[in-house]
Amino acid sequence: MAFQPRRRFTRRKGCRFCIDKIKIDYKDTRSLRYFVSERGKIVPRRISGNCSEHQRKVTEAIKRARNIALLPFTAGHSLDR
Amino acid sequence: MRTYETIIIIHPDVTGDDYTGVVDKFKGILGELGANMLAVEEWGTRKLAYTVQKQERGAYVLFAYEGKSDSIRELERRMRIDDKVIKFMTVQLDGGYEPSGFARKGEETEAAASEAGEVRKEAAVAEEKPADEPAAEDAAPAEEEEQSA
Repeated sequence: MAFQPRRRFTRRKGCRFCIDKIKIDYKDTRSLRYFVSERGKIVPRRISGNCSEHQRKVTEAIKRARNIALLPFTAGHSLDR
Repeated sequence: MRTYETIIIIHPDVTGDDYTGVVDKFKGILGELGANMLAVEEWGTRKLAYTVQKQERGAYVLFAYEGKSDSIRELERRMRIDDKVIKFMTVQLDGGYEPSGFARKGEETEAAASEAGEVRKEAAVAEEKPADEPAAEDAAPAEEEEQSA
């Protein structure tokens, strides 16, 4: 498997939250951005590598952040164009 | 009594005395409702992820307090009435309030210099892209480890 295509997301063994013991907070958009695709979708667990507990918390946090306009629901109405 | 935090977005055109007036008003309402204020964080004007009431930016204020659920209902009712508050959200805090520091000073000052709006948009675009690249860089060493293992 020498010529594996470059993976888009880090594939770490285990859940990064379990290892680093970071709290998941909807206000911390900088770290949540990592779990959101460019389109604004939530990155699935098989790609993010989160454990079920932390994926649930991340999802919850992303949804809260979206609700208060910290994160986008979609990239469609982006202001850059 | 439970710990809650309410985050509100104030209309960007509300500045100066009007702005502090709004913040004080809701502080007052919370006091009136018998809530025990823990903290008020003012994040300053930030760009919103999507337009809210046709506004692209807004001033975030976060109130953390201990109060009763009835007082939330009353607080939110009054927020709905106030036109200066364009969005709000209340969240129950399980672990109690901890100062977050997510209102980073850098972003605030950046947002304050909003006259350079165009520059900021570009900066935002630039910000989004590196967000992917570090991931790719991270991925590369990880793959090497896998291969060596």
